[in-house]
Amino acid sequence: MHGRVKIKTTAQQEEEKRKEREKKLKIYVAARDACFSKRNEGIWDDEALQLTQQLLSSNPDFATLWNYRREILMHLETVKDKDEVQKIYEAELSFTESCLKVNPKSYGSWHHRGWVSARLPRPDWARELTLCDRCLSLDDRNFHCWDYRRMVVKMSGVPVDQELAFTDRLIGSNFSNYSSWHYRSTLLPLLHPESPEPPSPCREPPQSSPPPSPQTHSHRVCEEQLLKEYELVQNAFFTDPNDQSAWFYYRWLLGRAEREEMISCVYVNREEERVAVAFSRPVNAQSVGLFLVLDGQPQRVEWRSVHPCFKHSPVWICSLPPGTISDITNERNLTVHWTEKHTHRDCALYTGRTESWCRDSATDQELFRSELSVEKTSVLQSELQSVKQLQELEPLNKWCLLTIILLMRALDPLGYEQEMLAHFRTLKEVDSMRSAYYSDLCSKFMIENTILKMEYAEVRVFSISDKNLTTLCHLDQLLLVTHINLSSNHLQRLPPQFAMLQCLEVLEADNNAIENLEGVYHLPKLEEVLLKNNKISTLADLQPLASCPKLKRLDLRGNPVTQTANVESELAELLPSVTDLLL
Amino acid sequence: MLLLEKHADYIAAYGSKKDDYEYTLSEYLRMSGIYWGLTVMDLMGQLPRMNQQEIIDFIKACQHECGGISASIGHDPHLLYTLSAVQILCLYDSIDAIDVDKVVDPFHTLFGVAGLSLLGDEQIKPVNPVLCMPEDVLQRIGLHPDLLS
Repeated sequence: MHGRVKIKTTAQQEEEKRKEREKKLKIYVAARDACFSKRNEGIWDDEALQLTQQLLSSNPDFATLWNYRREILMHLETVKDKDEVQKIYEAELSFTESCLKVNPKSYGSWHHRGWVSARLPRPDWARELTLCDRCLSLDDRNFHCWDYRRMVVKMSGVPVDQELAFTDRLIGSNFSNYSSWHYRSTLLPLLHPESPEPPSPCREPPQSSPPPSPQTHSHRVCEEQLLKEYELVQNAFFTDPNDQSAWFYYRWLLGRAEREEMISCVYVNREEERVAVAFSRPVNAQSVGLFLVLDGQPQRVEWRSVHPCFKHSPVWICSLPPGTISDITNERNLTVHWTEKHTHRDCALYTGRTESWCRDSATDQELFRSELSVEKTSVLQSELQSVKQLQELEPLNKWCLLTIILLMRALDPLGYEQEMLAHFRTLKEVDSMRSAYYSDLCSKFMIENTILKMEYAEVRVFSISDKNLTTLCHLDQLLLVTHINLSSNHLQRLPPQFAMLQCLEVLEADNNAIENLEGVYHLPKLEEVLLKNNKISTLADLQPLASCPKLKRLDLRGNPVTQTANVESELAELLPSVTDLLL
Repeated sequence: MLLLEKHADYIAAYGSKKDDYEYTLSEYLRMSGIYWGLTVMDLMGQLPRMNQQEIIDFIKACQHECGGISASIGHDPHLLYTLSAVQILCLYDSIDAIDVDKVVDPFHTLFGVAGLSLLGDEQIKPVNPVLCMPEDVLQRIGLHPDLLS
């Protein structure tokens, strides 16, 4: 229907065509109405099969007619013997094949064929695979055909290595084959799975070990196979550096394993009588069986997320009953249980200490990249050299530049920081339409590097000023941070996720473009907020600050809000705890 | 720049093409077609040019006993066209023109989801086959169905 070329004809030819179409329409409508009335009368006969066949041949997307046809076929199953049914369904396969010749992308035709194949007394799966091969040779991105192929493979038990060889053939004949690379990425982890990690000390042994299924296996590939894949895909993008599919597959190969699901941090504070828990991914604490045990006694607590807009959050907080941990002369032992995942984390609150925490470091968790073996490191080093050489030959190719950045991240994020920034600058010139995406991606990598540096320095100060930040992320990693310096960047908002900085005392964010402070919400220790030269324009924008009970110092110089009438008295009312106000 | 007038005229006239062959052939997606046309008219501020009552009556005629809605009169109900119909009614703020409770069937939805869990869907938590409730809930409230031996 789309893209039909309109040919100018004489008036007479137009008239002839119009008459023809009128006739065609009449025939079609008559057949359609006959079908509908037969169906309403519950008739399942040969004529009905003929009529539906006639209509579906020219209009295979008429789903209701496929439904009717299936009703008729199911009825025939009950009155014919097995051999007759086999014949009928083989004819059905022929019919769908002719429909597919007309429109190889009809949902109705493919679905019907799948339905028939599943009901055929003696299915010929080899034939079905051949059909798929033919279809894919005409259009290797026909997802209907790929889905059908996956069904056939499953039903007939085709071994994974045979399918892998199939992708070898397709990729070998044409590197630009997104669908084949994608299929390969699902097969490879089944055939060459990454060996399971040793259990962490916090994980209780599971009751019984479930068999690996596509849902439970790690989707990662063992290293030996991975190195072979690098070579394969490198051939692809060297042959045609402008084809996306190989670059995307390469990016998948460089990716890291899914993180183990666990409680990554527990923080306790005696003064606030509060516990904060950080998870490795967003959860809904109400439904995951989260229990708090204090000195062996389960505690009845209510978990809340850091901001009302989050039903799922990586950080959850609860308040302990008054007096439970406030006595600083007592040592208390806290355990948080995540029963759904059979894991827990302990945190000891020592005598004389007002606060305590327990967490894995970002480096230990391999938070931002997976651990590389010596072999893999040297391979990736040579990959980096190769892609850099390609980049010299193809200076305008954005995929090269992006891949170089990803390789550097995989090898040594801190060591390559300056080079990475230089490459991002080039990338933004070469592909200026996506410069905002690259700015955000660079911001993410700079935040990751700053988190790593903070870890090594073992401090609770997060300083990332003058780094062209356009966005914030990984805020769940900043639960313990007391001081944050975001000044001289390009931030426009402190989003609700910012409320995960539950230990924050000082917020420096001068010289940005901030107009939204939603995330500065219920931060119990926040005392100082510096927002000089930003874009805060109304008093309503400052509302979240009212939820921070200890806020004393606030710098709003150089913000449009300072021009509001009676701004001083309004702020005195909105933020009574503030004693040191700069306008 | 878009030729807004021409676009609006085209869509406004489209519904009266009942003698057109392609129009008839695309009957199987009529509900979605109407939705696509209406959203575009709305975006261009031309929604009043469409015949609201006629469209709402059409939708009513397409709701089946089971609660689902078909693409056109006489066709089978389908999730795609139920969604399109609901979207159209939201555009017209007339969601009560159809039987809303029938469209949303919490009883069957619950049992459908429970069924998926029992069939092994890993994204749904384990469900007790007797009580059709999540196992962890039953554990929490201390309810165990006894098996007759």
